[in-house]
Amino acid sequence: MSEPQRTPFVDSQLEAAAQARLPGSSIGWLQAARRENLDAFAASGLPDTRMEAWKYTALRALGQRHFASGDEQAASRAVDASAFALPGIDGPALVFVNGVFRADLSRIDALPAGLDLQPLSQALQGDAEPLRFALSRHYREGGDVFARLNAALAGDGVVLRVAAGAKIAQPVHLLFIGAPGEVDLAWHVRHVIELGEDAELSLIEHHASSGDQQHLGTQVADIVLRKGARLRQVTLQDAATGSTLVRHDSVQLDAQAQASLYVLELGGALVRHDLHANLAGDRSRLETRGVFVLGGRQHVDTQMAIRHQALNTSSESVWRGVADQRSRGVFRGAIVVAEGADGSDASLSSKNLLLSGQAEIDTKPELEIYADEVKASHGATVGQLDERSLFYLRSRGIPLAEARSMLTAAFCRAVFEPLPEEGLREHLYHQLMAHLPSA
Amino acid sequence: MTPVTAPDDMNTTMTTETTDRSDLSATTLRDNAEVAAALGRRYEAGFVTDIETDYLPAGLSEDIVRQLSALKKEPEWMTEWRLKAYRHWLTMPTPDWAKLKLAPIDYQSISYYAAPKSGPKSLDEVDPKLLETYDKLGVPLHERAKLAGVAVDAVFDSVSVGTTFRKELAEAGVIFCSMSEAIREHPELVQKYLGSVVPTGDNFFAALNSAVFSDGSFVFVPKGVRCPMELSTYFRINAINTGQFERTLIVCEDDAYVSYLEGCTAPMRDENQLHAAVVELVALERAQIKYSTVQNWYPGDENGVGGIYNFVTKRGDCRGNDSKISWTQVETGSAITWKYPSCVLRGDRSVGEFYSVALTHHRQQADTGTKMIHIGKGTKSKIVSKGISAGRSNNSYRGLVKVEKGAEGARNYTQCDSLLIGKKCGAHTFPYMEVKNPTAIVEHEATTSKISDDQLFYCRSRGIGEEDAVSMIVDGFCKQVFRELPMEFAVEAKKLLEVSLEGAVG
Repeated sequence: MSEPQRTPFVDSQLEAAAQARLPGSSIGWLQAARRENLDAFAASGLPDTRMEAWKYTALRALGQRHFASGDEQAASRAVDASAFALPGIDGPALVFVNGVFRADLSRIDALPAGLDLQPLSQALQGDAEPLRFALSRHYREGGDVFARLNAALAGDGVVLRVAAGAKIAQPVHLLFIGAPGEVDLAWHVRHVIELGEDAELSLIEHHASSGDQQHLGTQVADIVLRKGARLRQVTLQDAATGSTLVRHDSVQLDAQAQASLYVLELGGALVRHDLHANLAGDRSRLETRGVFVLGGRQHVDTQMAIRHQALNTSSESVWRGVADQRSRGVFRGAIVVAEGADGSDASLSSKNLLLSGQAEIDTKPELEIYADEVKASHGATVGQLDERSLFYLRSRGIPLAEARSMLTAAFCRAVFEPLPEEGLREHLYHQLMAHLPSA
Repeated sequence: MTPVTAPDDMNTTMTTETTDRSDLSATTLRDNAEVAAALGRRYEAGFVTDIETDYLPAGLSEDIVRQLSALKKEPEWMTEWRLKAYRHWLTMPTPDWAKLKLAPIDYQSISYYAAPKSGPKSLDEVDPKLLETYDKLGVPLHERAKLAGVAVDAVFDSVSVGTTFRKELAEAGVIFCSMSEAIREHPELVQKYLGSVVPTGDNFFAALNSAVFSDGSFVFVPKGVRCPMELSTYFRINAINTGQFERTLIVCEDDAYVSYLEGCTAPMRDENQLHAAVVELVALERAQIKYSTVQNWYPGDENGVGGIYNFVTKRGDCRGNDSKISWTQVETGSAITWKYPSCVLRGDRSVGEFYSVALTHHRQQADTGTKMIHIGKGTKSKIVSKGISAGRSNNSYRGLVKVEKGAEGARNYTQCDSLLIGKKCGAHTFPYMEVKNPTAIVEHEATTSKISDDQLFYCRSRGIGEEDAVSMIVDGFCKQVFRELPMEFAVEAKKLLEVSLEGAVG
């Protein structure tokens, strides 16, 4: 292997690290972890497409860019958070502008019993010991370059705990707003989320923007579900069309825990989402359902890996992708059934629509099975809208563009069908329709 | 030297081999004891004076490549071609992306032109386990002996059969000969097509093969000719009892058709021997090539000791419009199988097919699959892959379906199913789909499961023994692929599976 090249991007981030004044700088173990991850980031640089995890996402252009560290004005930028309100969602909310927590826009004054919700910057001022396990992680995988950067530079994020047995009725809204600044910014948020035994939570992760910008945002989330806990998470990613967003989620499910993860990817120029789920406890259950709808020159890369490690675990994944104009959609869905994980039941479906001659879809469902009492299957397709259906609609006087949008929306809709929050579900449909060309 | 040089008249009785290698075989055939003595002597004494002439010393260098080329009396351009490949190979890193556990191979410890270390003198000395296997396969005695590497007179029959075979082929205009012969007698064809599908620098093992390939077969079917019979390399590989680095080239001109069978049923007893072959297929306008393989190299013993490393590059180029290339493979042998028979669908409306059964048992590892590269308009491909894992083995399907921008209306269907027998084995699926044309339809489906208890119970309740029941179910699982094989091969493949699965249940 040749030495990684020092790109302007890496240089700008190292410089940012040298100047950064991060919360918790008096905590020895935290500083050590930041240092280790930064050193690993500096040593590896950005991966190239020869690395399997980045085979379909080239970072050459990103490597040539500079990003300033943090937004000094973030606390004072005029942002109308109400513009991003979601129907029926009026419970606790944490709002971040360019990665910085904004107490003035958030709603955390009257938290329901059993819910502990605070920004990381604040949590680090108190007893940081409970965060030690998550925050001392060292990202050793070659492809985890942005997680390393995040671990070195994240100054804020969400710390969320639900006490054992607590069932939080109102969904928690986490809103990340990218606001235009004087220069291109890099911001990093780090979340630590834990649901105690038999706890229940509905969570909304919402990425939005208050104007055109080309920031880089990174997010690393560690989510742990203790025995019997239930999480439903909806991610609505509607970042600015010029922005770069890299998310790295790790979800651990203990015995009988259940997680349903919904993802709608609409925005961003370059978006990467790594989702690692570990079914660590017997009879744990995971459901992932996602859609990406791309146009322009968008590039969205989802890398999902589900690991069945315990008895009688199950996972079901349903993903739909639409790529139009010059966009490129990348999906990898790996299912691993470890030795001894008997009774695992895993299925994955990745269906994609390729709507333009300049667009591209790369999909790669994977199965790695080391146990024999297993049912595992996956299916993947790449195709286009059905000509006959189009003809049917047009013969009833619906213009071509509208007919295409209707069929495309129908193709994606089914993914969100099981979502119980009706208002939110309708909102997702609405966003999806609005994103389709000429709807 | 030497007891191992054959008199000239022996060469004429051999069909496809005219190399020094085959001289050795010929002698082996004629006077087995004499050769065994010579081999034994070499083995015991380490070095004998005749090493330079008939055996190249272990190791790889430009000199060795030159000597190999000289031994085979190759023209200058061929020597240069090999050297070019060798120089390129030196610059390449060993690939490590496959899902395989393998110790680093010491390329300097391999003899690139050598006879087996030892051969049994008579049937009595052959491992009784092997004989048992052949019994099950229903291979007749003389065939059995031949497979075990013991030369008996019957081999001559098969040689003469080969000769009549050739005459009929020549009447049809089909050229079917060894690669060495083709290089000497049809240099224009070889120069035109060799390396045009798998370039010398294509990958690590292809480059190595290009530098040191010892022999292989060459098939040329001229315009409009439908090859009158199925061609086979079965006997040939056994006759020379080697094939570490074979090179096969099959060219079908416009409207031509050939069906080619490759049987690698010769077991080798050497430990972890490397077999790095390259197969190139070229189909011109409306040509069709059907390539079937039943691979049963020595898989190593229950503990994973010994066995062949089968690292093969196979690729077909559908150069002409409406051409078709079909790969069928049954892989039951080898300690490690690492191969991806592929189709480059260049011509408009060309068709690529891949049917595969890969069975691994004990500590075998297989990483196999295919690539379908759709370039021409209206191209179609179909992939049916069946993987069976037993014992402590690992079996991976790795495939790529790529639809380039210009491949209007391309269509692919992929089905790959895995069957697990036992708790310690692994079955994996890594399909890559890259689509750049919005009129293409690409579909992939995969399932993994074990033999269902219901099916087993049904069979058992009707008085069928567990082992028979399993092989019935496995047979049904593989049916889709077996029916693509020529009849005799299908029978053999089915029996091979039975034999390979022995002891997998219970």
